[in-house]
Amino acid sequence: MTLTPEQEIQGRRNFMKALAGTPALAALGAAAAFKGPVSGGPVRLGHIGVGGQGGFLLTVVDKNYATIKAIADINPGRFAKADENIAKAGHPPAKHYTDWKEMLQKEDIEAVVVAVPLWAHADVVVGCLDAGKHVLCEKMMAWDVAGAERMRDAAKRNKRILEICYQRFYNPMYQAAYDGIIKTGGLGEVYHTRLAWHRNANWRRKGEPPSKDFDASAWGYPTWEHLLNWRLYWKYSQGLFAELASHQLSVVNWFYGAKPEAVLASGSVSRFKDGREVYDHCYATWEYPGGRTAVFSSIESNAFDDYYECYYGTKGTLILKRESEAMLFAEGKEGAAATSLELASKTSAPVLESSETQSPTAAVAQPGSGGTFERRAGNIREIQGFCSAIRVGKPLLVGPDRALESARGCIVANQAVEKKTRLTL
Amino acid sequence: MTRDDVALSSWQQVGLVLLRTLIGWHFLYEGYFKLLHPAWTRVGTPLPNWSAAGYLKGATGPLAPLFRAMGESSWLPQLDLLVATALLLVGVSLVLGIFTDAGCVGALILLATFYVSAIPTSGIPDAHAEGAYLLVNKNLIEAGAVLVLLAFRTGRLAGLDRLRFVRTQPKEVAA
Repeated sequence: MTLTPEQEIQGRRNFMKALAGTPALAALGAAAAFKGPVSGGPVRLGHIGVGGQGGFLLTVVDKNYATIKAIADINPGRFAKADENIAKAGHPPAKHYTDWKEMLQKEDIEAVVVAVPLWAHADVVVGCLDAGKHVLCEKMMAWDVAGAERMRDAAKRNKRILEICYQRFYNPMYQAAYDGIIKTGGLGEVYHTRLAWHRNANWRRKGEPPSKDFDASAWGYPTWEHLLNWRLYWKYSQGLFAELASHQLSVVNWFYGAKPEAVLASGSVSRFKDGREVYDHCYATWEYPGGRTAVFSSIESNAFDDYYECYYGTKGTLILKRESEAMLFAEGKEGAAATSLELASKTSAPVLESSETQSPTAAVAQPGSGGTFERRAGNIREIQGFCSAIRVGKPLLVGPDRALESARGCIVANQAVEKKTRLTL
Repeated sequence: MTRDDVALSSWQQVGLVLLRTLIGWHFLYEGYFKLLHPAWTRVGTPLPNWSAAGYLKGATGPLAPLFRAMGESSWLPQLDLLVATALLLVGVSLVLGIFTDAGCVGALILLATFYVSAIPTSGIPDAHAEGAYLLVNKNLIEAGAVLVLLAFRTGRLAGLDRLRFVRTQPKEVAA
């Protein structure tokens, strides 16, 4: 999907126009207004796993909402960069642990942010919940459905909050798209959604172990390389469906108001035959009730399409790109007349640019122009929302049930590839 | 009961006790809110910590230099605690009608301090207030109302002071 710069600008204008007049985001219940404030300082956080994604999360912790008291990582080589991130976010220095259980015992923390390799999610999260901590866990929820169910049950049993990091749910752009366009029927009937996450890069990471005598086998990884590149091996990972598709699939479930009933999928190690197990190219079609589908593709050999979600409705098309750009187009003249949205039709210009010379990011809007959003806003608000849920019981926007359905869709997609068959969920 | 008390009609008594309860609640909640911090709103946003610093630094009038110096002093946290506790105690006193005279005196001291730290002399709307005031503002009016409560000994009309008063003044009651 590539649009001309003019179309992108028009699409963004359409999006903003469609939202004009819709109620302000997050209109709050009158009940809350008549209650006074509740006592409590910033939430005391511990972070387990401060590598790539876990390290990034340290940078989006609003210090008014939470204080990072301690961090734990089996790889001590991560601490220097993590300390830097913590300082940059304006927090005082945090204590270091290599054993997360020791951190829970010694530190006065209320909540834990978990960003460990996928296969360890269930054990770490259930351990934290059973220790009475609230948990914000990176996506995907767990390596298998049983693990995700254990996490959900542990949260319920311990009466603790469990939120999963699908930051799109906290991104104002997605909230506006849902409230202002999807919920109001602005797209008409949506039978098809296209999800793409295309990159032209090797997923394999390079890095030296923290020390010569570092023993990854103590943590269940036969070599340092397995720990560093856990995403490439089935024992620890569920591949691109988990790391990328689950984000997008969770939003389709939200926008469709449904969960998939079946999945068809295929995948292969096509390009990087370097000993990895997970596919570098994979494709899935999820079938929803009412004849609706979502089709996902992720490739590691071409980045022209970049990443986006595209909702095709009988009255219009909604494109949510790079978590930061939203575009809306009405269907041709007849369709436009039937919709309540006053939109420019895209039929005046070709939709697809076949030129390979155009960079997919060349037409990114100027900062501040309508229809563009800050990508990090979703991550910042996600942690704020988690803290608000702990302090005053503000409802979670994802929650274990929703996250579990998205995980199930992605896990079963991998099973469908393996079995070369259509599987029901 | 004294003859003065007997002379009040029930409507007058109800009015006075209602006034005392309302002023008491105002003080009570102001104190409670300041002592509650750190705190969060019910909609899930943290509230900035309360401190008298901003108020003191913005002081106007003849005593402004004194208040500004207080706003910058090292014992400001203790001052904040003192003000909040005083507000809370005055509030409890007026709501329950216990040690009401002392509560009224405390309220008058606090209100007088608030008034002289920012006497409205401009007569035009201020960014921090919802109306336009010249010399008379709500602090002064509330002080006037507290003076009425003190004069009428409202704790003895309805309140825990009534129990104290009855016990300590048996002869007068008998007379």
